[in-house]
Amino acid sequence: MLYNEPNPLETRVLTKRFGIPNSEKAEVYVANGGYQAFLKATGMPPEKIIEEVKVSNLRGRGGAGFPTGLKWSFVPRTSPKPKYLICNADESEPGTCKDRLLMEYDPHQLIEGMLIGGLAVDSHKGYIYIRGEYRYLITMMEHAIDDAYAHGWLGKNIQGTGFDFDLYVHTGAGAYECGEETALLDSIEGKRGVPRMKPPFPAVAGAWGCPTLLNNVETYSAVPNIIRDGGAAFAALGTPKNGGTRLVCLSGHVNKPGVYEIPLGYPMLEFIEKFGGGVRGGKKLKAVIPGGSSCPVLTASECDIIMDYDTLAKAGSMLGSGGMVVIDEDTCMVKAALRIMRFYAHESCGWCVPCREGTTWLRKMLQRFHDGMGQASDIPIIGQVSKNMLGRTFCALGDAAAMPTISIVEKFREEFEAHLDGRPCPYEHKPAMALA
Amino acid sequence: MSDIVHLTVDGKAIEAPPGTLLINAVKRAGIEIPAFCYYDGLKLQAACRMCLVEVEKTPKLQVACTLPVAEGMVVHTDTPTVHEARKGMVEFLLTNHPLDCPVCDKGGECELQDMTFRYGFGESRFLEQKQHIDEKQWSAVVYFDRPRCINCYRCIRVCDEGMGLTALGITNRGVLAEIIPNEHDHLNCDECGMCIDICPVGALTSGMYRYKTRPWEMKHVGTICTHCSNGCKTTLGVRNDEIIRGNNRDRSGLNGEFLCIKGRYAFDFTHHAERLQSPLVRRNGKLEAASWSEALAEVAKNWTAIKQRGGRFGVIGSTRTTNEENFFLQKFARQVLGTNNIDHHRSGDVPTLLDALSGRTDALATTADFYERKAVLIVGADLSQEQPFLAWQVRANVRHHNAHIYVATPGPVREDRVAAASVRYQEGGELASLENLREKLRAEPELVVAFGDAIQGDAVRQLVNFGDSLGVPVKYVALLDYSNSRGALDMGLLPHLGPGYHAVDTPGMSLAAMLADESLDALWVVGANPLGRHVLAASKPFVVVQDLFLTDTAEHAAVVFPAASAYEKSGTVTNLCGEVQRLEAAIKVAGTKPDLEIFGLLAREMGANLGIWQASKIFEEIRGSVRGYNIPLPILTTGGAAQTAALNGHVPAPPRAERIQAAHNTLFTSGSLGQFSRTLQVVLEAPGALYQGR
Amino acid sequence: MKRTTLEFRMPKVNEVLGSAAAIVKGMSVTFREMMQPTITDLYPDAPPEFEERYRGKHVLQRDENGLEKCVACFLCAAACPANCIYIEAAENTDAKRISGGERYAEVYNIDYSRCIFCGYCVEACPTDAITHGHGFELAGYSTSDLVMRKEDMLAPVPEGAHFPLLVPTAVAGGGGH
Repeated sequence: MLYNEPNPLETRVLTKRFGIPNSEKAEVYVANGGYQAFLKATGMPPEKIIEEVKVSNLRGRGGAGFPTGLKWSFVPRTSPKPKYLICNADESEPGTCKDRLLMEYDPHQLIEGMLIGGLAVDSHKGYIYIRGEYRYLITMMEHAIDDAYAHGWLGKNIQGTGFDFDLYVHTGAGAYECGEETALLDSIEGKRGVPRMKPPFPAVAGAWGCPTLLNNVETYSAVPNIIRDGGAAFAALGTPKNGGTRLVCLSGHVNKPGVYEIPLGYPMLEFIEKFGGGVRGGKKLKAVIPGGSSCPVLTASECDIIMDYDTLAKAGSMLGSGGMVVIDEDTCMVKAALRIMRFYAHESCGWCVPCREGTTWLRKMLQRFHDGMGQASDIPIIGQVSKNMLGRTFCALGDAAAMPTISIVEKFREEFEAHLDGRPCPYEHKPAMALA
Repeated sequence: MSDIVHLTVDGKAIEAPPGTLLINAVKRAGIEIPAFCYYDGLKLQAACRMCLVEVEKTPKLQVACTLPVAEGMVVHTDTPTVHEARKGMVEFLLTNHPLDCPVCDKGGECELQDMTFRYGFGESRFLEQKQHIDEKQWSAVVYFDRPRCINCYRCIRVCDEGMGLTALGITNRGVLAEIIPNEHDHLNCDECGMCIDICPVGALTSGMYRYKTRPWEMKHVGTICTHCSNGCKTTLGVRNDEIIRGNNRDRSGLNGEFLCIKGRYAFDFTHHAERLQSPLVRRNGKLEAASWSEALAEVAKNWTAIKQRGGRFGVIGSTRTTNEENFFLQKFARQVLGTNNIDHHRSGDVPTLLDALSGRTDALATTADFYERKAVLIVGADLSQEQPFLAWQVRANVRHHNAHIYVATPGPVREDRVAAASVRYQEGGELASLENLREKLRAEPELVVAFGDAIQGDAVRQLVNFGDSLGVPVKYVALLDYSNSRGALDMGLLPHLGPGYHAVDTPGMSLAAMLADESLDALWVVGANPLGRHVLAASKPFVVVQDLFLTDTAEHAAVVFPAASAYEKSGTVTNLCGEVQRLEAAIKVAGTKPDLEIFGLLAREMGANLGIWQASKIFEEIRGSVRGYNIPLPILTTGGAAQTAALNGHVPAPPRAERIQAAHNTLFTSGSLGQFSRTLQVVLEAPGALYQGR
Repeated sequence: MKRTTLEFRMPKVNEVLGSAAAIVKGMSVTFREMMQPTITDLYPDAPPEFEERYRGKHVLQRDENGLEKCVACFLCAAACPANCIYIEAAENTDAKRISGGERYAEVYNIDYSRCIFCGYCVEACPTDAITHGHGFELAGYSTSDLVMRKEDMLAPVPEGAHFPLLVPTAVAGGGGH
């Protein structure tokens, strides 16, 4: 995929090296200021590194938004067991496509971030778990790692600092569920990728029962910038408690879809207008999925907010993994709900009852509804079945399937009613939107 | 930190030790939290989500099966939210369930049925097409019906953890997730049926019980399995005087819910077509059906004549008949026939072990010790094949108590997988091989030693010396073959020892000696088949056989009595650990009589008075006269197992040492009886070479 | 009883007329009823008539393909307060298909010396296989004659049915629950 044209309004921190040729070469990275943060970190006590990350207000970019510094501090540094560092590059959330760019255009930034993580938690072995469908990225990442080894940025006694770190690429086999951190651990261990019971959390007992630090690609990639420029500088980019910039993947009915780096707290409507070039074909905005398909949908009137974790939570949605999907007025929301549910029914791992049965039930029900065979009594049932899943499943996949559905049924009930009595989909004669 | 945690559940104050799971803690207050996937003793799953409860100060419903109790915790299990969550879960489970209860073998004892009645909606809101997958047969005894499956993983876990087999797994994902057997379309396993037993729904059903009846139509009789010497209780389902199934769902015996293929399915010999149902008397060289009175008179006449002319009798007892029968038999032989030529197929050197441990208490292991003691040493036995229940106990011990298992065998065994250390030996090197384990065993706080027929005679004493030299408390058990092998020894079916291992004045002939004696005049074989592997030297002895089938021995007989099997009589049996349990008659097979009754009738026919032949009366006599058997009756009568007391006194060795040869049955063989079990014959793994060479 | 002497007295005219009127009135009912259809059953000269819901001898129903509806679930036997139903189940095979479900009743006996015709079995039946027919001639010379076998109770194969017929094994493969 071609990287979209950068927008001059972007605040380019993580993406500042995007577009430089031969990015997988360690020399190129070093020539552009790379690995300096790592060298700086080797001179810092681990507590200071973690403190710096805490000060930066960096929050997990994978979707849950957990404060990264806090997570790092949970790893027991003094444990006699080996400690593992894992990067979650199983980017499968519909609407999200930022990690691939970070790996494709600046792989060494990720490697450097992981090295700093290794210093912070005293880990000497790392794995990058890359989604199976990212075949080309697996090769690219391997080249980058090979080059890092060749230039002494990985392996024994890195650059004479006395720090050892080995990094491996591990590939998934195409299961969305393996993006859940504990299912990812099972997958890395060679097992069937199903989530584990929590507690214990991976920080205490993760891969092979050992303390494990698990972060998203974007999170690790932010770390070198934090260490280099100081946590406070990074925090200043965002709003209080929501430090730094964020890669937002704008897709859907906009004129200029793409991945844009903006500081947290950027106004949403302004973002769609100035970065996305407004809604395609000059149509009216109907709804926005702000952070990937698992987030509750916001109606056009709810979109006049700034984008950070807390504000979106207040609005009843989430910033999630940054996959913003814009939906125009010509879109059938029943079909949107169906498309989302089809994805979750396909990806449910089958471990727990509500998710396994609920997603499929909802998929079948929404399909029937969209086919014009819905009954008025089905509308509340869709909501109730979703609520029976919400918060009751083993992992967050059930919630991810339930939340958008609940929000669509509540906010666009009249569209469901328009499908009743054997009537065909009122939007079907118009071009249907392609979600994800 | 205090060792008691206080919490409140539905307004009731509950105390529980820290670490107790909430789902268990509430049971003491009489509160039920429903669950499918939670199963005591197996790994936690948290997959069925039935056990969701409200815990104050937590934002969403909590899963009670994984939640340890905490001080001051306030739990609500009876709120509208909880009820609605349970309803929702049952509704989810039923979305793809075929609801074919009328034709499902589980109907009537199905946990999903019960839960639906108790917690479910009265009606369904699911209007979509259900997903159908055809039923599959995985083996002679295992059927799998995917649409009924609720993916609770109990079968997978009991196979992995309980059986140590991992014969079941899961394939596909989401609503298509499906349990699969290890050979993709069929199972290659122990065929123990634990997966069927543990299945809360009708997804896994038994090929033996398939469509035979419904649970409420059966009478259930708890008795002791007649096959190996572990003494598992099996609850037989009986309809129309036919045993239809065996299980131990009520966990009543010492085996809990465990049963292997033999206890669960190999009851089918009772209705084998070749079962003898009438006495046979040899006339003109051919065995012909005769009446009981004719047959009894024929035997009495011949025995009286042989006795009068001072002829030589030989008596071979059974390893499956009850203690009462064995006691009565040796009494008959010694008092009426006037001979000490009495023996049985011996499979372990219990007399030497008892002698070596004479005077010690707490040195004889129980089956429970295999689960409770911190370390177990297995010498010369493939436990998983030969002693399946002890192997189950050992695996559970490792799982629940992190016990250390040590194995000394000639070849690889399944226990190696859980063993802390395994050693291999060549024949004769058994004791020497243990020296390699000495340092490790010394570090253990306690030890249970189980040994097979590889250790006998002096080697038993050396093994006990080895145990003593470790400086830790050691308990022993000699592994035996059949359900009452131990009882046959205890009751004195031995040429040199009477009941309770008292020496007899003039030792008689052993089994091998009797068969080799050319001048033997009469041979009486009860429930044994010595001519299956030996030749009778005497040219024309008068042979009387009591058995279920026309065995090789019975074919040589002058008179054959049709005997009742262990499932058709009452009495007591003693397992390899000396634990005495009661048999309960489940059925009656027309034309047969229990061996005890045959003994009594024969005694009466010969004009001898050996007392009343009623099992309970004879057991009273045994309690009074046999060493170690003064066990409390209430334990027995309520279906429990009571271990016999240790001996205090010398047990003399046999005058001439003979090699004891155990049968080394696998999971799919059971001596000559096993040949008449269709199930044991039809499973693919028979004759049980499954783990050889792995 | 005391014997009374009959005493004759000439009737008065109005008494005669009154009697005649009464006879006419009475006979008018008789004649009117003579015109109506008979309601007296002429059993045994003619077959008796029953109310639709009369509970007589059971009929084991077949489906439109001629397959037995009974799947041997034993629920009728469980519901029976007189304990008069005895069933043995067997599995349908492709070669030998008796019922539409996975299993069928190989033996299905009702002991009419014990049956109380309460209809609980009919209510319990999940497949509407057992119904009460209108058969009532259940007298016999021996109680053993009163044990009816499946063949005695089975409904006839419907006309045009292809029996036995191979159908998919699923009993509840699709549809709602």
